[in-house]
Amino acid sequence: MLRFWEKRIKTGILTENLEFDRELEKIKKEIKDKIKKHFAGSLAIRMVDSGSCNACEAECNALSNPYYDLERLGIHFVASPRHADVMFLSGVMTMNMYLHAIDCYNQMPSPKWVIAIGNCVKDLGVFEKTYAIKGNDLKIDYYIPGCPPEPTEIIKGILEFLKTLD
Amino acid sequence: MRLIARFALDNIDHFEIIDVFDKEIKRQTIDKKRPIVKSLMPKYPAAIWMERKIRDEFGIEFEGAFDKRPLVKHERFPKHIYPLRKDFNKKEIDFSVFKPYKYEEIEGKSVFVVPVGPIHAGIIEPGHFHFSQAGEEILHLEVRHYYKYRGIEKMVENKNPLEIKKIVERISGNESIAYQIAFIDILSKASESEIPNSLKQKYFTLLELERIIHHLTDLGFIPNDAGFAPALSFMSKLAEEARRVMKKITGHRFGFGAIKEEVEIDYKELTEFINYLKKEVEFFEEWTNDIASLWDRFNTTGALSKEKAKKYGVVGVGARASGIKLDVRDNEFYKNFGYKMQLGKKGEVSDRFKIRIKEVLNSIEMIKNFKTDKKEKLLLTEFKDGEYMSFVESSIGELFMYMKIKNGVINRFYVRDPSHINWQAFHTTIYKDIIADFPLINKSFDLSYAGNDL
Repeated sequence: MLRFWEKRIKTGILTENLEFDRELEKIKKEIKDKIKKHFAGSLAIRMVDSGSCNACEAECNALSNPYYDLERLGIHFVASPRHADVMFLSGVMTMNMYLHAIDCYNQMPSPKWVIAIGNCVKDLGVFEKTYAIKGNDLKIDYYIPGCPPEPTEIIKGILEFLKTLD
Repeated sequence: MRLIARFALDNIDHFEIIDVFDKEIKRQTIDKKRPIVKSLMPKYPAAIWMERKIRDEFGIEFEGAFDKRPLVKHERFPKHIYPLRKDFNKKEIDFSVFKPYKYEEIEGKSVFVVPVGPIHAGIIEPGHFHFSQAGEEILHLEVRHYYKYRGIEKMVENKNPLEIKKIVERISGNESIAYQIAFIDILSKASESEIPNSLKQKYFTLLELERIIHHLTDLGFIPNDAGFAPALSFMSKLAEEARRVMKKITGHRFGFGAIKEEVEIDYKELTEFINYLKKEVEFFEEWTNDIASLWDRFNTTGALSKEKAKKYGVVGVGARASGIKLDVRDNEFYKNFGYKMQLGKKGEVSDRFKIRIKEVLNSIEMIKNFKTDKKEKLLLTEFKDGEYMSFVESSIGELFMYMKIKNGVINRFYVRDPSHINWQAFHTTIYKDIIADFPLINKSFDLSYAGNDL
């Protein structure tokens, strides 16, 4: 265990000083009120996969690793839609997930927003329409493109989304 | 014999069932007017999902089958359509009336049911787990999938094989390289050309890197589910670094589009990284070895017995952890580059955890040996009609891909993801444990939902 702490101290803090931090610093005042008004100080996200290849989920998981550490910005993923402000939606929206995703959306307290993660949500990405794919009908408030979008792109996307709120 | 896959074909005037075993391939022609075939369920439990899928998609009945519930057709999915038949061409279907799915449940005094999913608490794929509980003890678990059923088998039909490359890359994001290798292997067979050895070395370099990333992620999440969060920080850091290396050498963090007729790999960058990684993983091994509470949780948990694993034909890390010598890489080519099979004894969470560490270290050795300067290309010409199969050891286990080309286009495409078998055996591992162990056991297998559902 001692060796671990030695390594821990030598490694130091890895979280990268992404542009996001500086930009956030800049608009902090501006969005502070919004976050306070809409999100009670912190932004809670519920992730719903409606038929992706799992790459979008892997990238959202990566947001918690020491390089990105999303929670430092007061943005975190929650376990229940009832705790969420924002739904992250990924995937092509299959027949078998369609009603569950809508259920999940309905469980979220208002005000609520949907952010689309990845190309699949918008136009199925590389996939094509089949009998098993219904396509998304939830209103998308913000769209983060990519296949999958990289963690930095997702963070930037969240920031851009925050700017769109009034 | 081990059942690898059972799937059906619609040959216009008749159906055909293909049974792929490890030692032989059996074919049966079935009259369309009386589509009945003998079930393999009683002998091979892994055939349960395979046959239920065929029944849903082709309307073929199985004589002697004890489970005839729909599999891919969920509650509101129309039951009267058979989408993989050639005469079905609709791209839009409406929901039908709600028809409840009869779950496997145990009834009795003080027995209750815990339904989990399809939408889970973490950032994971959708699937349903149906527990029958007596207090904390699990009496029964039914795993229900196909929430992500995208109809990929139908999606790729009647296309030129090259057109579906991007779809194949994205069947299961975590196993993308393995899928791409299986796919290009089939294409090379169809154009009667051979993949040059140096190119194979490059493919397998990327395959091992993908395996490393997948294992590293799991090595973080498994201890995390046992309440040891520093391991997740440590391993998710390494996994992120490995993904960045993947991006540097392939241009994509998941290696989408990396397996081509010609591949260039910057081995200098890669070698530097894996040398560093080796030290880190060895440190991790030593560090976690010392944490007794972790092993308290890992040992005896989630045991998959050798008998059950054999009966189900379990593949990949799950099989090797139970002491079964099964790996597509177990061949002369791989052995020449330093492949060593890693085997466990009891099939517990601890075995799967240790095997992942050992496999990462073995993959590092192999990548060092795969290094090559040769620049050979694969020449793909016109694809000849015929049936082609390929096997690749993905990060989860043995991946089987089948493609039938007719008149230059794909007539039938079928994939048996390793998860398809392992999911079915999964419920056998939890009966000695309590429900709180479920996430830990689930993570120790880390199976794919997307690959299973297609």
